[in-house]
Amino acid sequence: MGISAYLMIKMGKIDGGDGQRDAIRELEAMPEVATVEPVSGQYDLVVEATVDVPARARVIAKEIQAKKWVERVHVLKVEPAEPNPFLDEVCSLPGGECVRWCMQCGMCSASCPNVNQMDYSPRKIIAMIRAGRRYDVLTSNTMWTCASCYLCTARCPKDVKITELMHSLERLAARHSLRCEGVSTPAMYKAFINSIKNNGRVFEMGMMIRFYLTTNPLSAFRMLPVALQLLLHRRLAIMPKRIKGVEQIKAIVQRAQALGGER
Amino acid sequence: MRYYSYYPGCCEEGTAVGYGMSTQAISHALGLGLVELEDWNCCGATPYGSADLLESLGIAARNLALAEKARFTVPDEKDIPEGKARLDLVTCCSCCYNTLNRAISLLGQYPELKSQVNECLAAAGLEYKGRVRVRHLFEVIYNDIGLDFIEANVVSPLTELKVASYYGCQMVRPEPGFDNPNNPQSLDRLVASLGAEPVPYPLKDRCCGGSLIIPELDLTLGLIHQLLESAATNGAQCIITVCPLCQTNLDAYQSKVNSKFKTSYNLPILFFSQLIGLALAIAPESLGLSTNIVSANQMLDQISMRKSYAMQGAENG
Repeated sequence: MGISAYLMIKMGKIDGGDGQRDAIRELEAMPEVATVEPVSGQYDLVVEATVDVPARARVIAKEIQAKKWVERVHVLKVEPAEPNPFLDEVCSLPGGECVRWCMQCGMCSASCPNVNQMDYSPRKIIAMIRAGRRYDVLTSNTMWTCASCYLCTARCPKDVKITELMHSLERLAARHSLRCEGVSTPAMYKAFINSIKNNGRVFEMGMMIRFYLTTNPLSAFRMLPVALQLLLHRRLAIMPKRIKGVEQIKAIVQRAQALGGER
Repeated sequence: MRYYSYYPGCCEEGTAVGYGMSTQAISHALGLGLVELEDWNCCGATPYGSADLLESLGIAARNLALAEKARFTVPDEKDIPEGKARLDLVTCCSCCYNTLNRAISLLGQYPELKSQVNECLAAAGLEYKGRVRVRHLFEVIYNDIGLDFIEANVVSPLTELKVASYYGCQMVRPEPGFDNPNNPQSLDRLVASLGAEPVPYPLKDRCCGGSLIIPELDLTLGLIHQLLESAATNGAQCIITVCPLCQTNLDAYQSKVNSKFKTSYNLPILFFSQLIGLALAIAPESLGLSTNIVSANQMLDQISMRKSYAMQGAENG
């Protein structure tokens, strides 16, 4: 792991071109620069560079200072980059790599219909992943409360796939057997998947019975009137419909498990 | 006739039989040949994708592989236009639409995932090449059939019927598809082409809670309440949907919302195909309207009353 250096840059006048954007491109082209973000206040840009020795930060600062459009450079902080295995783990999942470029604007949390019920908002969850708080993230109810409405994903200005991330966190929590008290969504998912494995299609009645038996059988009474109405309107099948290729489904699942399942 | 491989989805055999019935009923009138994909399986939906990625992609990809194989067995080969159309897999369920498209985009984006999935499929004697395109039934009707054709074929215009168009989530998101994900308009245009009146519906693309209705009942009832309230305050006489989950949540749980929030909503929730069917003067029985829990009878009476007034008016000249 290298050392992170944070440099603040105050820009002077730039002739022609698209000022700040060109400046960012120029900085990003430097080999040790990891990220460049615009900021407001005394300085205009913050640069994060990965260096091998602390003294190297001064050299980079001088190199930047030498640029025509730079008014002044301030070395904010030079610190060893802490290993963050949880962040690496999340980033290795499809869609998870986006976590690194989230800019914490909070559009996802503002868009989420269920944010009020979540332990941590989607924005906070990303901040916590970056802070390496594995246990708090994976035992929260946040991802289990996501309804997959994709409003966050559609609105994110940085193209972070938040819904996809929530699904990845669900899989991580399940794989490490980390549970969240009082959340029964995983049980519903299990009943649903079981139905697919047995029949190839979802048999709603069987799925519901299995779900209530594994969670809280008494709460099924609350649902009885709804189930009755569905039944009366010919909307609940009494018998499962099994596809011919059930064996194919089993073969696919078996091979996937042999391959290590989750990537 | 335009032929497509058709993927009905599990709901069509269960909680959304009316969707299947009305789709069959209107497809002939619209010149749509929907050939059911043989021995399709559940797409896996959100739950499978949240449990195991590789398994879920394998399950979803079985359908895609079947669709790639099936294109050679579509009837009336000569009627099929050249090119991509044969590889279109059409589904009426927004959730299947989203899940299958998600599989396609992940397999396209991560080649090593694709080779693993193909290894799984090989165990079932199948292969996914990546040539199939999954489309929503509504999008096919909107783009391939066209609203002009529908408008020209309307037999009994739904004059003065006030309709809230509910797009739900997964047809318009996450990928920008055929409609603006921030302010979709296509369903409203369909409503207008049937002679009905689309009402403003600010929550038209908001979430109904989907399958969270089972584990998180109270949370989801709150979402459904907002959706019903917004439609009712804008004067809607019914809501139309493109998703079996949305329909079930808004229809079957409407009485639960009424008792929880002390309201008295009585809004029929129709599939868009049922509304098209009514305008094409197809009998309500063939459209499966009797499977709707909030009865649409009052609304049907109003429509037929207006129609007879209009006819009298025409006779009196």
